[in-house]
Amino acid sequence: MRTKLGSSINLAGYVFISPWLIGFLLLTLWPIAQSFYLSFTNYSLLDDPVWAGMDNYTRIFTSDATFKKSLIVTFMFVLFSVPLKLFFSLLVAMALNKNLRGMNLYRTAIYFPSLIGGSIAVAALWRNMFGADGYINQVLSWFGIEGTGWIVNPDTALGTLILLNVWQFGSTMVIFLAGLKQVPQEMYEAASVDGAGKMRKFWSITLPMLSPVMFFNLVLGIINSFQTFTAAFIVTKGGPINATYVYALFLYEKAFKHYQMGYASALAWILLVIVAALTALNFFASRYWVFYESDGRKAK
Amino acid sequence: MKKKMYSSAALLLASTVALSACSGGGSSTPSASPGGASSNTGGSSGGETTLSIMWWGSDARHEATQKALEIYSKQFPNIKFKPEFMAWDAYWTKLPTLAASKSITDVLQMDAAYIQEYVTRGQLEDLTDIDLTGIVDANVIENLKMDGKLYGIPLSLNSQGMAYNKEALEEYGIPLPKTNWTYEEYFQWARDASAKLPDGKYPIGDVNTWDGYNFYQTAMGKPPMMADGGKTFTLDKETFTTMFETYAKLREEGVVPPAEKTASFLENDPQADAVASGTVMVRSATTGSVGALEQLMPGKLGVVNMPGGPAGAGWAQSTIFLSVSANSKNKEEAKKFVKWFITDKEAGTALGLTRGIPINPEIYAAIEPTLEPKDKLGKDIYDQSVEKAMPFYSVAAGFTEYVDAFKKEIDAVIFGQQSIEAAYNNLNNLGQDLSKRAK
Repeated sequence: MRTKLGSSINLAGYVFISPWLIGFLLLTLWPIAQSFYLSFTNYSLLDDPVWAGMDNYTRIFTSDATFKKSLIVTFMFVLFSVPLKLFFSLLVAMALNKNLRGMNLYRTAIYFPSLIGGSIAVAALWRNMFGADGYINQVLSWFGIEGTGWIVNPDTALGTLILLNVWQFGSTMVIFLAGLKQVPQEMYEAASVDGAGKMRKFWSITLPMLSPVMFFNLVLGIINSFQTFTAAFIVTKGGPINATYVYALFLYEKAFKHYQMGYASALAWILLVIVAALTALNFFASRYWVFYESDGRKAK
Repeated sequence: MKKKMYSSAALLLASTVALSACSGGGSSTPSASPGGASSNTGGSSGGETTLSIMWWGSDARHEATQKALEIYSKQFPNIKFKPEFMAWDAYWTKLPTLAASKSITDVLQMDAAYIQEYVTRGQLEDLTDIDLTGIVDANVIENLKMDGKLYGIPLSLNSQGMAYNKEALEEYGIPLPKTNWTYEEYFQWARDASAKLPDGKYPIGDVNTWDGYNFYQTAMGKPPMMADGGKTFTLDKETFTTMFETYAKLREEGVVPPAEKTASFLENDPQADAVASGTVMVRSATTGSVGALEQLMPGKLGVVNMPGGPAGAGWAQSTIFLSVSANSKNKEEAKKFVKWFITDKEAGTALGLTRGIPINPEIYAAIEPTLEPKDKLGKDIYDQSVEKAMPFYSVAAGFTEYVDAFKKEIDAVIFGQQSIEAAYNNLNNLGQDLSKRAK
């Protein structure tokens, strides 16, 4: 009796979650499995996939100069935008972690750009700001500086995209802010009694206490930055001369512009492996610097 | 208790199914949704047929085409339409996914740049048996055939030429370009004009696109870069080097704008278009596209055909077609409709010049009195181009990648990051590689 009731309760449970389960199986897992199969085929979308074995992977690793270039561009993007964003959002979070009158208003105002930051409209705005005749150059010209065409110059184009990414610091900042509020006040009080200065408190209390949050933001930041697409697609179209041809854009163009879905699938799986490896590395490294108050382990 | 849990679970499941069915039926993208699939698989309830149709274009074209569809439904009440229309980029992103799911609309607009790709993959229906005598010139039809078969009904006349800032040239005392100029005369004209233009203004623009170069290679009597559906690839080293060395010199002399300026031009943008912004005097334009430029600088433009060589100059032919999907369930109705589209006078009047100069001379004669200046410029390019025109060379199946690579390699030359020879080697290797893989 008991087992019978138990299994029927289980069954009802499965029926309840079935919309999500079916959605996951059909709309997520199935396409993922299929893309793995497609990565071993030549598939133009217009006719049926043809088995090609390791051909796509061989070509990517041996003869595709664009693959190397876009990987370098993406690594540069991650290397600069992730630390800059972490630094900047922590700075702002600390500034906003004060008890001032109207603080909620400031918080809202500063978070606001991030609500619209990832959108196409903002990317289009960025294009106008950093164009040869854009607002940035107009402002520079007041000081007698003749600015370059930021987004059409191969040396500066990636920088403008990194800046756009860093500017979207809102969600990272909110998570930092929440983390800052978790730091027990008595620690600071005890430190004050011992005569610690502001810097000392930051390095010895705030930063260690914040390290789990920092780790979380770092992992998410790296994963998101590797998939950056909108800005490069709208602002620069990957140009000039591939200077901003980030990996996701490369993948997209292979699939939907060059009609090489098999090749694009192979690229997607390579990206997955890269990101997974970096995340694993991150978790490994975290043992040496992330401090969890609860498990009594100390960083170092 | 148990019973209650079951029934509520069942209810939830049922409502989820119902909801998703609703969203499918109400979707405005018929062919991708279950609702659209049913229109493909018959839709003939009570002798009524629903034809799905898809095109790209501007708002003016969308409105005119919808009007034409209404006229057809009035003339043939048993035919209804399920139209879908969008801009160029969205169209060519959507179409391959429809092709992958074998749900391309019954009737679809096709472009000369892509038609080979779709014909090679067996996505388009053979339309050779549609009788177009007296509607379209027999030679035109012959030229459009692929392996002896017609896959698209041509809609309009189009041609490649150049538009120049007539007002500015007259102001600076520069002679206007003459019809049937050669590349040599073109470069000489640019050098002479450069001497009379103030700083920051340039007579001609740079070339970094595959077709910009292909015009030159073919005009010099060499084969096109891609032939036989991509099986033959020719990048003539001497021609390539001559042309890009010439441009390198012109760039040095300040006849052609510097790299950064070239990169910042944006076609048909009021502030950033090379010609509309007043920076460059001449740029290429087609019969179909010159109107957009004219609207940015009304009354200031003149047109001339492409510079040429011993083998000819530019092209003059149809580039927009109506095709029928090879997987359509309503092929006969679709074929009847595409023929009507270029034959019916009432439709012709409704459509006007929204797809260029109508291919049917009778319809053109009927609407000629109502033409605006921007339309006349387009016709002018066509009339000047037709004598020396070479064939329209489209991108072969599988070569879209090459088109992108061409621009990037040449941009790297223009920015001084690599030599002309390096660009040649990279492009030649890629092209040869792709031609080997072409079926």
